[in-house]
Formats: sequence, structure tokens, C-alpha cells
Amino acid sequence: MEIKTQRENGILIANVNGRVDSANAREFENVLSSAISDDDTCVVVDFGGLSYISSSGLRVILLVAKSLRNRNAEFALCSLSGPIGEVFKISGFDKIISIYDSQAEACAALGG
Amino acid sequence: MKVKRSLCIASDLSELERLHDAVAELGEAGDWPPDLVYQVDLVLEELIVNTVNYGYDDDARHEIEVTLISDEDVFTVEIIDDGHAFNPLEDAPEPDLDLGIEDRPIGGLGIHLMRVMMDDVHYRREQNKNHLTLVKRRNG
Repeated sequence: MEIKTQRENGILIANVNGRVDSANAREFENVLSSAISDDDTCVVVDFGGLSYISSSGLRVILLVAKSLRNRNAEFALCSLSGPIGEVFKISGFDKIISIYDSQAEACAALGG
Repeated sequence: MKVKRSLCIASDLSELERLHDAVAELGEAGDWPPDLVYQVDLVLEELIVNTVNYGYDDDARHEIEVTLISDEDVFTVEIIDDGHAFNPLEDAPEPDLDLGIEDRPIGGLGIHLMRVMMDDVHYRREQNKNHLTLVKRRNG
């Protein structure tokens, strides 16, 4: 698992690659949380390079979403593959977190 | 063609990689669709993690037996552990998926994913062990 971040037009974009499972979810939480600064008001997590995520990874996404919501920052996910989108849907996360097909759409929605 | 793999793993999360590899190997051997292999992989992880985290009172090393069987139309996973009696079909509350983000509790989704993703789940307690069988059908 690897996370690369960049800031574009005031949006923090975190590209997640590889697998997130129970064995490395804590690392995922630490790296993602520390990548987001208190000044970030828009955060997009791009799952285009993610091959696998289990409920341990969903837990981290929910923690991040809650913490951003608490300080009125915007949060979105994008580029989920078919099976990963299905995991989010079955968990009902598609109803509480904004999910976009592409990074461009996510950035347009948050920045625009 | 029937392909079977039996693994005896320690009650430790570091064993997940070995399980993932075995599921992937059987998925390839049986020419299973990647989306289906993903779901088997995920549900197996959820159950093993549940057992490792909540199944034991002591810090001793326990063994968990996992058998994977790829048959013509059915992918079956059998898990046998000596943890506390736990029937995932009855002993875990259904999460409320309609709660807003502020009210959604952290966790509690693993067993829900199992119930939705698997076509059949069978549980029995025998000689102080949990026996769980997960079934995923090719045309489920």
C-alpha cells in the first residue's frame, strides 16, 4: 500500500495504491491522517490504484470522513473499481460519502 | 475440476497474506471471475480477523484450519477455530445503514459483508470448535 499526495487548486488529492487489509489498515490510517493538514478544506481520496480494501479500510475512511465533517471540510472518493464500489455500496457508505467516477469529476464538484 | 487447499494458520493477522495468496491461486485454477474472488477473499479476511480479535481470552497461539475448495460451480471456504462459540448468522447485530455520517458507528461491517456477499453460510458448534462453511456460486 502506498499513498501519494498532491495539492491542486486548494484540493488535497491522495492517490492510494495497492491493498488495504487488516494487516496494514493502521498504517493506512496513520499515513492518510498525517497527509491531511488542519488547513485542508477539500480532500479527495483517489482509489484508482487500489486493488483491494476490506472493512478495516472502510473503518479508516469513515474516521477520516467524520473528522473532516466535524470541521466542515469537504471529502470525496473517486475512481473505485467495480468490486470496491460494491463493498462501499453494501456497507451503505455511498449514502454518507460522496463518490465520483473520476478524479476530475470529484475535483470539479468540490472546487466548483 | 476440483481443486482443494488446506491451510493451518496461526491466530495472527500476519497470516492474512498467505490466505489471500491461496484464494487467488484457487481463483485462477478454477477460472473464477475476479469480482467473485475478491468477495471470497474479503469475507475470509473479515471472519479470520473477527476470530483473531474477539475469539480468545488468552494470548496463546491458536490454530485456525482453513480449507478452500474450487469445484465446477461452487467456491467453498471452511473455517474451523477453537475460539468462543460464535455464530455469525445470529450473534452479530445488523448495522443500521441509514444512519448519517455523524451517527454511524466505527466497525461492525465485516459480518454484514459476509451475509450479503455469500450465497450460503452454514454454522455448527462441534467439540468446542466453530465450524463455518461459506459458499459462493458461480451463477449466484
